[in-house]
Amino acid sequence: MIVDFHTHPIMIKELIEEDPPLLQSIEKVFGFCFAAQPLSIFIKEMDEAGVDEAVLLPLDCSSSFQRTVVSNQQVARLCEKSDRFIGFASIDPRQPDALSQLEHDIRNYGLVGLKLNPALQGFYPNDKEIAYPVYHLCAELSIPIMVHCGLSWAPAGKSRFANPLFLEDVAQDFPQLRIIIGHFGWPWVNEALILGLKYPNVYLDTAILYCGTPAQSFQKVLVEQVGLLVIERGLHNKVLFGSDYPRVDMRRSVRAIKNLGLSEDIGAKIFGLNACNLLGIGKEAK
Amino acid sequence: MKSLVKRIEIETQHGTETINITETIQHIVAESGLQNGLVLVSSLHTTTAITVNEGLPDIESDILAMMEKVAPSEGIYRHARFLPSDGQMAVNASSHLQSAMLGFQCLFPLENGRMVIGGRQTIFFVELDGPQLRTYIVQVLGE
Repeated sequence: MIVDFHTHPIMIKELIEEDPPLLQSIEKVFGFCFAAQPLSIFIKEMDEAGVDEAVLLPLDCSSSFQRTVVSNQQVARLCEKSDRFIGFASIDPRQPDALSQLEHDIRNYGLVGLKLNPALQGFYPNDKEIAYPVYHLCAELSIPIMVHCGLSWAPAGKSRFANPLFLEDVAQDFPQLRIIIGHFGWPWVNEALILGLKYPNVYLDTAILYCGTPAQSFQKVLVEQVGLLVIERGLHNKVLFGSDYPRVDMRRSVRAIKNLGLSEDIGAKIFGLNACNLLGIGKEAK
Repeated sequence: MKSLVKRIEIETQHGTETINITETIQHIVAESGLQNGLVLVSSLHTTTAITVNEGLPDIESDILAMMEKVAPSEGIYRHARFLPSDGQMAVNASSHLQSAMLGFQCLFPLENGRMVIGGRQTIFFVELDGPQLRTYIVQVLGE
């Protein structure tokens, strides 16, 4: 089973047709300037890549950009259209109603996690005033958080907010909160590695945005920088496959992980079993 | 002289594939009502191709296999970096190169209301970076 833990349901033709200003926001916030594709193409891309299920990550950047890209409701509607989608929520921690909105959307829309992007939402992940109340609620709701870490390619993204080491305070202060470091924290890979190796509640996804194809990125980061032995011994339950689709091609990302030379059982964990464990779905990894 | 331009959208299914579009083009030619001139088929993309060959599954498979040998997917290319103009990672240099080699257009004479095409000739839309929603145009030009 393959779960793509890092996809953005944007540049979907149907969403833009029902919400035309979304296109401008996508360009402004994410810097995406390519043709939107029908939802059917998203699913065909999954089929072609061999991906069974995809985690959909919206983004609420109301404080920075005065809108969501896309909204929790839109994600919930996409999940209703295909049982192969797993919806995460997003709230803007700087908004006064963030907590009530999160609780409402998690309880009512069937969403199973929270996406945060400090680089675009403009907060430090260890900010006790802004971020900690959100973590309290996520722990209470028993949902994982996916945090964008590392370089932000978004035009207005500020990478200084996205150093994974800010999450060390969070990992210590919220041991029951499951934290996913997006993009393996690249280029702060060593910092991400510190957290992933040390803290039982910290996970890493493979949506690495290196300068090259997925095959070259994974070779450089996972093989040469981290080392496959480290992954197989210390991170085998912690790494989640994620492509960052549509910023990075899903099909080529799957193929690149398959060609890394990981043991079969570890590959199966990274591709899907770890995700199932984390989300409490399907077969669990041992 | 008259000119009719028709845009055809096509949802491709796979990373690479050949799609027989001959009948669609012949239908557009017949609908145009034009008798003598030219028929142009042109893709609007840079990672697809239009090519003409025999419509046999083994030939179609050989064409795709040959393109993979000529410009391998896992080759080393300069076009493998973040593209600020797209907001995407450029990961498809091989698709561009394969497209460049196969070409993006074909042209047939139009005679007495029929496209002059050989009995073994088949017009293929070739997907080299799918699946995607694609568009090609057919222009019938003549009198």
